[in-house]
Amino acid sequence: MKLTSRFLVLFTATACFISCSKQTTPIVIHPDDFHRSVDRVTEIMIHDIFSPPVASRIYAYPNIAAYEILAQNSVEYQSISNSLTGLSPIPRIPENEPVNYELAALIAHMDLSKQLIFSEDRIEAYRDSLYTIWKKQNQKEFDASKTYGLSVAQHISSWMNKDNYKQTRTMPKFSIDSDDPSRWQPTPPAYMSGIEPHWSKIRPFVIDSSNQFKPTPPPEFSMEPESEFYKELKEVYDISNEITAKGDDSEEVAIAKFWDCNPYVSVTRGHLMFATKKITPGAHWIGITKIAAQKTNANVMETVHAYTKTSIAIADAFISCWDEKYRSNLIRPETLINQHIDDSWQPVLQTPPFPEYTSGHSVVSGAAATALTSIFGDNFAFDDDTEVPYGLPVRSFESFNKAADEAAISRMYGGIHYRAAVEVGVKQGRDLGAFVVANLKTKANKDLVKND
Amino acid sequence: MTKTIVGLLLMLALGLVGCTDSMLFEAKDAKSTGIDFTNTLRETEELNILDYLYFYNGGGVAIGDINNDSLPDIFFTGNQVKNKLYLNKGNLTFQDISEMAGVEGKSSWNTGTVMADVNGDGFLDIYVCAVVGINGFNGFNELYINNGDNTFTERAAEYGVDFDSYSSNATFFDYDLDGDLDMYLLNHAVHTQNSYGDVSLRNKRTYETGDKLLRNDNGKFIDVSEQAGIYGGLNAYGLGVAVSDFNLDGYPDLYVGNDFHEDDYYYLNNGDGTFTESLKHFFGHSSRFSMGSDVADINNDGRPDLISLDMLPEKETVLKASEGDDNVQIQKIRIKEFGYHYQFTRNMLYINQPDGHFMETALLSGVAATDWSWSALFGDYDQDGHQDLFVANGIKKRPNDLDFVKFVSNDQIQKKIDNTKLVDNKALDLMPNGAEHNYIFKGGTDITFKDKSGEWMSKDTIISGASAYGDLDGDGDLDLVTNNLNKKASILINTTDRKTNYLKLKFKHKAPNTFGIGTKVYSYHQGVVQFKELFPSKGFQASSEPIIHFGYGDTNVVDSLKIIWPNKTAQTLTKIKTNQTLLVQPEHTSPYAYPKKSKMHNLLFTKVEDNLGMDFMHVEDNYTDFIREKLMPYKASDRGPAMAIGDLNNDGKDDIFFGGSKRIPSKIYVQQDSSFVSVVLPTIANDSIKEAVAAGIADFNADGLKDLFVASGGADYFGKAAPLLDDLYLQNGTTFDQMPVPPSFENGSVVRPFDYDSDGDMDVFVGNHTVTGQFGQASNSYLLQNHQGSFSIDDTFKGNELGMVTDAIWDDFDKDGLIDLIVVGEWMSPKLFKNTPSGFQERQPLNLNGLWQTLLPFDVDQDGDTDYILGNWGTNSKFTASVDQPLKMLYGDFDSNGQTETITLIEKNGAYYPLEGLDELSSQLVFLRKKFKSYQSFAGQSIDNILDEARLNKGKTLSVTELRSGFLRNNGGSFTFVPFNNNLQVAPIMAAVCYDFDHDGTEEVLIGGNYFGVKPYQGRFDSFPGALLKSEKNVILGNMLGLDFTQKSIRHLATITLNHQPYLIAVFNNDKTQVYKINTK
Repeated sequence: MKLTSRFLVLFTATACFISCSKQTTPIVIHPDDFHRSVDRVTEIMIHDIFSPPVASRIYAYPNIAAYEILAQNSVEYQSISNSLTGLSPIPRIPENEPVNYELAALIAHMDLSKQLIFSEDRIEAYRDSLYTIWKKQNQKEFDASKTYGLSVAQHISSWMNKDNYKQTRTMPKFSIDSDDPSRWQPTPPAYMSGIEPHWSKIRPFVIDSSNQFKPTPPPEFSMEPESEFYKELKEVYDISNEITAKGDDSEEVAIAKFWDCNPYVSVTRGHLMFATKKITPGAHWIGITKIAAQKTNANVMETVHAYTKTSIAIADAFISCWDEKYRSNLIRPETLINQHIDDSWQPVLQTPPFPEYTSGHSVVSGAAATALTSIFGDNFAFDDDTEVPYGLPVRSFESFNKAADEAAISRMYGGIHYRAAVEVGVKQGRDLGAFVVANLKTKANKDLVKND
Repeated sequence: MTKTIVGLLLMLALGLVGCTDSMLFEAKDAKSTGIDFTNTLRETEELNILDYLYFYNGGGVAIGDINNDSLPDIFFTGNQVKNKLYLNKGNLTFQDISEMAGVEGKSSWNTGTVMADVNGDGFLDIYVCAVVGINGFNGFNELYINNGDNTFTERAAEYGVDFDSYSSNATFFDYDLDGDLDMYLLNHAVHTQNSYGDVSLRNKRTYETGDKLLRNDNGKFIDVSEQAGIYGGLNAYGLGVAVSDFNLDGYPDLYVGNDFHEDDYYYLNNGDGTFTESLKHFFGHSSRFSMGSDVADINNDGRPDLISLDMLPEKETVLKASEGDDNVQIQKIRIKEFGYHYQFTRNMLYINQPDGHFMETALLSGVAATDWSWSALFGDYDQDGHQDLFVANGIKKRPNDLDFVKFVSNDQIQKKIDNTKLVDNKALDLMPNGAEHNYIFKGGTDITFKDKSGEWMSKDTIISGASAYGDLDGDGDLDLVTNNLNKKASILINTTDRKTNYLKLKFKHKAPNTFGIGTKVYSYHQGVVQFKELFPSKGFQASSEPIIHFGYGDTNVVDSLKIIWPNKTAQTLTKIKTNQTLLVQPEHTSPYAYPKKSKMHNLLFTKVEDNLGMDFMHVEDNYTDFIREKLMPYKASDRGPAMAIGDLNNDGKDDIFFGGSKRIPSKIYVQQDSSFVSVVLPTIANDSIKEAVAAGIADFNADGLKDLFVASGGADYFGKAAPLLDDLYLQNGTTFDQMPVPPSFENGSVVRPFDYDSDGDMDVFVGNHTVTGQFGQASNSYLLQNHQGSFSIDDTFKGNELGMVTDAIWDDFDKDGLIDLIVVGEWMSPKLFKNTPSGFQERQPLNLNGLWQTLLPFDVDQDGDTDYILGNWGTNSKFTASVDQPLKMLYGDFDSNGQTETITLIEKNGAYYPLEGLDELSSQLVFLRKKFKSYQSFAGQSIDNILDEARLNKGKTLSVTELRSGFLRNNGGSFTFVPFNNNLQVAPIMAAVCYDFDHDGTEEVLIGGNYFGVKPYQGRFDSFPGALLKSEKNVILGNMLGLDFTQKSIRHLATITLNHQPYLIAVFNNDKTQVYKINTK
């Protein structure tokens, strides 16, 4: 046990011994408490319907807040405020207060999550039931931890509020006013407007700018059958026909559906409309993070570290990917196939409402897998049950990277991306992930640890 | 003592009279009538709204006298229950003879029904439609031939009408005028609503889903759909069909209402056995989720008008919780990419115009929103001579409830629908109930209706669909019957009785069309014409009693009735006493010649096909304001082009300048002897980046050559962008020099040169409309004083934040010899600036805030002084305004993110509500999503509950108290506003010009309008045909004058003389300029 922890326990125990007239117990936070908190946020995001980029932002900030609190008390891990654009160090723990770091971290996590989602009541109910338990266990420790946790949440929140999110809300919508045949158009069935056209203007976490990992441009648009672009279009159509002919039980269809991760698939039957909602690509990788953390029996610090690093990689990946999406503004295969090849063709997956290039899932999966590999190592085999609540089976993977490759290719099987978007996208994500891993200095220099 | 009793009795009697007076319709219960038919639906796991989209559409009803005892009988069809036939035994008692009559039906899912004498034996037969072939439904459409003894024999196969397809209804009419009844069968598609598909889908013919035109060849019905030009039906969800001789050429036409993406069809009968679908040409837009429809002449002009129903809720609580219109981009895709017409989610009331176009007035007329509406029945229910309107509505579950769509549906139905396509009642229970009271409207003058629900009829909570009228109790007025879901049918007895007068006409016509289907009647009394046609299949899945009914108020004698038989013969009855039933048969008929439409004679204007060489076509750029300012109530970018007339080349002949749009250069046309020729002036042509929205021609540098002042705008460039700057082009004899003027970065709207300081040089007033990106901000306008050819801003004129100016004129309104300035604009009152030697003084405000678009001096009331024509927004929109309940717009940065928002509010029942829903508002004000966790919690909230006081205080409130166009009447120097009548309020009036068009020695005013820069929830103000105002009371619509202004949005009207011949020039936004010759009589 680390010296500081031991001291804290001693301190808390002493404080308690002196002041508590009634029976109190130290509050113990388990890694599962964090998993539950993250899961709760995921559930609420599904209900509230956040688009994939917005969802990635919602994961990142609460994790960072929790991480920064915990890192203060860690030998192995250190503050990342230096690695994150615009973040100043969080307030120090007030002296002589019986603050439980892990509790404070969880409280900060829940508070920031609450700020970021819409349905606050859904987090409040959960939070209040925990508060009641903790209060009963140890009111002083709880009060001190809460006060501190909320002060850190406040600090992170004021940093967060300067990331341009609010300003991007009133920026112009994506305009379809163009005669450019290659320009993205809304797709069936809901023909939703392009979401988050200004996401590249969101302040990134670790990468320098949204265009730092600007991918090579997509093949030049052409409807000439000999062109590279047309061949890729035709490939989407052919693969789709081939795998749908094989039926729903085919491996490719299973892969496409497993990685669908579309938070809002709208269905219209006559006047009846409804949506089937799933987690976002980011949420899927957050789910994988949980699987890995649990499989390695990670403690609270390690768990929060894994969530933090992965969610930062994912968030920056969305900023990078969205930068390219609204640079190339490339039309989706569904639009072109319906216009030029087969007017009744429908992709296996519903086309999501934003431009095609590069594939968001590919970029995010590449980045998340790189982050996770840096934490848990390559060839980390796992059984992915993240999608079970949404009626999908468990899939097993030999490594994060193999899972990322499958997630990338799934978009072609799904009929929503051309090959270039997938292949270039996963590379874009891996490059970005490697940069995040190299520059997000979570672990203290080992020499320094030795010297300590 | 006795006096007291008499008094009491009298009071009692009066009380009773009072009570019956209060409700026009009295509901009779099943116990007294014996009519206990209930269309009971059994929702099962195998069959419900998820499995069959029209599960809640209901059955049918038909009223007609099946045994010729003069008592109309009633037939109901049930979806899953047996059909019932009730024989009218008199005194509003009925006998269920269904079983004996053999009409209970064998199909699993019956829909609409029609009574018609199909075999021409003088007895009404019954046709019953069915949906067959999906959801395990079996059977076929049944034709019950009347045996004349209260029994029927099913003989559909024999007649060739035993269709096993997806039928909703049918109508029998003689389209080829060969004397027998043909049939149009309305079917519905099963094409996915998940994607639009191209309009060309309608050419694909499918047996199950395609509508069918069936020609009666000696008792055998032959499918002639393809050869007759009827679309194939792959994507047509036909729910309504109305027959009428819309274009009054003797051949009955069809209006088919289609649900979902497919356009409605307007089939004009060519008279040669074929039809031409002509919706786009004659209708500017149509209802989107079209359901039932009906036809009647509602404005007493002798032409059949039309209503087509949709599903727009009136109540805020439902409106804001239900899926509404498309957004503007989706609409664009549907129209531009897929070829559909403009469709909007509300009822549409189409007023038939002399040139065949329809003027759509549902919002103005007050009948646009009646919730989930199935059946419309026009009838003069109170017999006052005006057509009233009954609307049957309701849905058992609202499947378009936004909470259900977004939040509730997920867990409950996702797995079921994905895996089994089944759903349980628990999921269905989560959809809110859509039982809304039926609506009844009292028709009035000037194309208005007044909602009398709750007064004429108690507000019910039942779900009514098919409905029909008939005189069930034989007292001459129209009673109503509705087929209800899971409730006993409603029998609504009209208690007008003889308080007002009527005439009821039945026809005895030559077999086989024994009931005279297609007969027209013109009724004339006291200078009022009423017009009706006998097409009993109307409303929705129903047919009414085959009679024609007129109301006459207290008129005892009708001057004449002109009966026009289907075979184009006519007879006239004169001096007919009211309050009787006439049985009319062809007697002493003479041939009737329908007026030829192809050529209207002696029109005031004749379009000049070559435009005298003025081939200017304005092309609005693709910019959509709502992309940037998502809550703007309407656009600011589409106010061009500029136009200015003046002699630019100093040859004594007027030339014309047209402003270009973004990246398209302005154009100048020089007048030659017999035409105009476009000339390219490099200085001006090179300046094409700008959008020239206003211009003035004058000799600004007093060198004897005319110069050009151009105000730029377009509401796309923003901030201090150079293309927003205005320009002065000075003519130097051979070309123009661009000269700087004081910088103005507002979007310009009007340029009015005038030497206001009488110093001999031309000054200019430059009015500005908006500041890009800050809609709601009052723009600065400038009075530019000329100093030997250079301009400076006259600071004595208070032009700062003058308002959203649209037009201005120089006119001496106080007749003091100094020419004054009048300025109009949006969200402001007309401002009168008095010119005095010491500067301009604003006269006392008129307190007449409007959305003013144009201004013209003209002596409307012909009393010798100058009145001012004021073009406004009109009343045919979702804006409402009055002095007590003004239209409001909040303008400010309500979420403190550095960007302003506008929120437009209208008053309803004493509170103010935003026009936009939660999705739109929260896209800008994200915190609203935290405040309102469901659509239900937002729906019905007034603005005070949406934004708290602190936030509201961050903004300004703009208001409008008058939306009507009209004129300022000059009462010896003081002004009062006089609104025009309603046919001039159907669209914004954008331009006006005065001239002695008819050469009678006095000037008239020609006005033009229409405006398209609104979101789909407002629709499209497209059907104003222009109008000539000869005087206050004498108004002639443009479609009687030869003008082609419908479906075009006008910006300028002007007259010009070429070679001694006067011409009218009409300039449109995003359309080709028109030139008309002004004819001498």
